[in-house]
Amino acid sequence: MVFDYAPFLIEAGKIKEFAKALQLENPIYRDEETAKSAGYRGIPVPPTFMTVIDFWNDRNFYQFFADFLKLNPNHVLHGEQSYEYHKVILAGDTIAAQVRVKEQFHKKGKNFFLLETIYRNQWNEITAVGRATIIEIAEVD
Amino acid sequence: MNELRTIIKKPIYPIDLVKYSGASGDFNEIHTVPAIAEEKGFANIIAHGMFVMGWAAAAIEEWFPERQLASFSVRFQAVTHPGTILVITGTMVAENSGEILIKDPQDSMKLMGSFIVKNSSV
Repeated sequence: MVFDYAPFLIEAGKIKEFAKALQLENPIYRDEETAKSAGYRGIPVPPTFMTVIDFWNDRNFYQFFADFLKLNPNHVLHGEQSYEYHKVILAGDTIAAQVRVKEQFHKKGKNFFLLETIYRNQWNEITAVGRATIIEIAEVD
Repeated sequence: MNELRTIIKKPIYPIDLVKYSGASGDFNEIHTVPAIAEEKGFANIIAHGMFVMGWAAAAIEEWFPERQLASFSVRFQAVTHPGTILVITGTMVAENSGEILIKDPQDSMKLMGSFIVKNSSV
């Protein structure tokens, strides 16, 4: 059971906006020349940027939850998150992410979902692997 | 054991969470609309877990500006409301691996994490 997010073009403007929202001061996230003098081929993404590929996408976490898991994405909390970093994601890359439910269980009256997301670039190289624990909270309405 | 420099952040403002929602695409209104957060049983809106993890990653970058992460893993321990000041501490437990904690000034744990940095720079 896997779900494919839409392939996502990494735009420099989106990296800049994300870095700004997190108040990151490192200029490599907004200036290509600085990124290059730091040794990158282009503007890299901050370490938690993969969340943008999950959420700010045409086919994303919302469809995955509503259509696939039959869960309201507004009724969940994030318990744990981890990332393995394999290759730097740069502005201009197109990242295809695929998520699967590794485990699903019920504990202390709550439903838990362990998700694994693999992020591949345009050359089909694995750039990062994300693992998340999502907890369903009670529906009030 | 090698203590890393403690980082004290500015208080989180609601507008920070509005900006983060727009930038990340996580539009769960529990993070931006007080009435929705209250309906879900919270005293006020709560910061996105990934906002707090983003600050944790920024702290690691501040500690190791020349090195990249090999892996980074966190557990969210408690919700964070606007007005909260986050205090970030870190300890190296081996040459390349460390632990990171984020607490509020009352010592309530918000995030516990571990990370490994790569040996070489980019």
